[in-house]
Amino acid sequence: MALATQTPQADADQPRGRKNGGGDTHERRLSAFKATPATYAVLILVSAVFFVPFVLMVSISLASDQTSAENAFTVIPTEFTWTNFTDVFTETGLPVGRFVVNSVVIAGLSAVGQVLSSSLVGYAFARLRAPGKGVMFMIVLATMMIPAQITMIPQFLLFKELGWVNTWLPLIVPNFFTNAFNVFLVRQFVSRISSELDEAAQMDGLGYFGVYRRIILPMMWPILTAIAIFTLTFTWGDFMGPLIYLNSEEGMPLALGLQYMTSTSNAMQLPPWNLVMVGSIVLTLPMIAVYYLGQKYLYEMNLQGGSAGVK
Amino acid sequence: MSSNVLGDALGAARVSRRTGRRPSKMSRRGRKEAFYFWLFISPWLIGFVGFLLGPMLASIYISLTEWDSFTPPEWVGLENFRRALFEDPVFWKALGNTFYYSAISVPLGLVIGVWLANLLNKRVRRRKLFRTFIYLPTLVPLVATAMVFKMVLAPSGPLNDLLGWFGIPGPDWLLDANWIKPGLIVLSTWGAGAATVLLLSAMNGIPRELYEAAEIDGAGPVRQFWAVTFPQITPIIFFNLIMGLIQAFQIFSQIYIFTAQTGSIGGPNNASQSMVTLLFREAFSFYHFGYASAVAWLLFLVIMAFTLIAFRTARRWVFYESEVR
Repeated sequence: MALATQTPQADADQPRGRKNGGGDTHERRLSAFKATPATYAVLILVSAVFFVPFVLMVSISLASDQTSAENAFTVIPTEFTWTNFTDVFTETGLPVGRFVVNSVVIAGLSAVGQVLSSSLVGYAFARLRAPGKGVMFMIVLATMMIPAQITMIPQFLLFKELGWVNTWLPLIVPNFFTNAFNVFLVRQFVSRISSELDEAAQMDGLGYFGVYRRIILPMMWPILTAIAIFTLTFTWGDFMGPLIYLNSEEGMPLALGLQYMTSTSNAMQLPPWNLVMVGSIVLTLPMIAVYYLGQKYLYEMNLQGGSAGVK
Repeated sequence: MSSNVLGDALGAARVSRRTGRRPSKMSRRGRKEAFYFWLFISPWLIGFVGFLLGPMLASIYISLTEWDSFTPPEWVGLENFRRALFEDPVFWKALGNTFYYSAISVPLGLVIGVWLANLLNKRVRRRKLFRTFIYLPTLVPLVATAMVFKMVLAPSGPLNDLLGWFGIPGPDWLLDANWIKPGLIVLSTWGAGAATVLLLSAMNGIPRELYEAAEIDGAGPVRQFWAVTFPQITPIIFFNLIMGLIQAFQIFSQIYIFTAQTGSIGGPNNASQSMVTLLFREAFSFYHFGYASAVAWLLFLVIMAFTLIAFRTARRWVFYESEVR
């Protein structure tokens, strides 16, 4: 999973200075923080350049079939063929509606799997004592370094042996066995929760699973929301996994379905780019929505990186 | 937070090593607790054995065989590795392409990230708006990014329009074997926002007193950047460097999407063949599972080597505040 996506808004939303001992009043006079017209010029230019692909995406998605066939797109929209947004589901010859549903189901079940398994395993690593735990945790950390390509081929052969090829199982099931990074995140989070409450609950006769279920799990939701977001984002956009395991159109998620949309039977024929871009927008919008709904939790998790966290 | 992960991980490992050794005599309650520990970690443990350790061992074995998965594997020893390193020109081309892409895209992304973060760190009006514009591309799934960049990089696409304004005749990018790699690098810079926000939050945490002191000493903004800002953000730069390299070495989806149409993954004449597209093609197009596994291990070695080199040189340029105190 891309680590870099993990700390989006970060501390930059914080009012200046609180962290730096009230530096705000001084900053005004410091030359390093002076924004010149050149600063604005560069920021505006970069923002504009970074935004062009979005505008182009929208422009192409609204282009007529005629423009699409001629590949004569403009960055600024000149046509507004809104019917493309319904045509994408009916006119491509591919079950695009199914693609979307498949993506939702695969990503949703994967997130459920990661949340359930990483919370339980992370709790055990944070709270329970057992001989061999240190070694196990070292293994957790070590496995974070292993690139997926090493296990890709044997996993494929294993799933083929199990008859799982061309099902969703290879994409979903491994998530119910968590991954090292999420275990690490939960373990760090739970370690920072005071153990008074669960000790008291244990005195009252609550078992280890009871403590997990009734005390720790309800307090874990910020980190679990973050894990759900990472998993949703990764699975929703994953291309290689579905490419390896799925070959019937009915079962494909949108990320792979889009690629199928661009492969035409005739090499001279152009793909329906306008509809492909509608598909790209459909693929993108949920990610932006998930991020904006979830950034509060990502931000909270961020804070816990440095402070004592939940008391 | 992610900036702390490396440090946290090392610290946690050290602590757990200490607490891990417990007296062998255990109370009944201790045994019960241990039982529950193993029970609760069993999902991870089963996954580790079934989806990681087992496949890793299998991968070593498969890499020493020739196997199409339909007939029994044939033991060939180190032949696959020898073939990759001494006989297969495509392997070296893929390795070279992967190096080329990583060596340019990762530093370029970091330079842009540091530059933008430094601008956003100033007293800029509408900072949040600018930051949103710069961060937004990182939320776009790679497949959608690849689709739109097929158009951005089209011969008469917006990038060539932009170059045309400056009188530069733009190349055919993805259609030209010499320009497809620069095209992939252009695509990668669209994601510079991820590093930017991390660096910005790091810059935000630098004590303002350091700038005041520099100011009093007569340092200008440029000098202050190199003397104060830069050393303070080197840990985040280092973190992004490692993560960026690991990701760049594994480039796959963009290349697949750009070249699948040509009938050969990696493009005509392997112009954009990367390590992962090569191993994908060997495994899933040609069913050379043995050779593909050998390529996977060579990729792993390359990634490990670069990570180690980065950590080695880190001592010279990465600044940790704790060293000064």
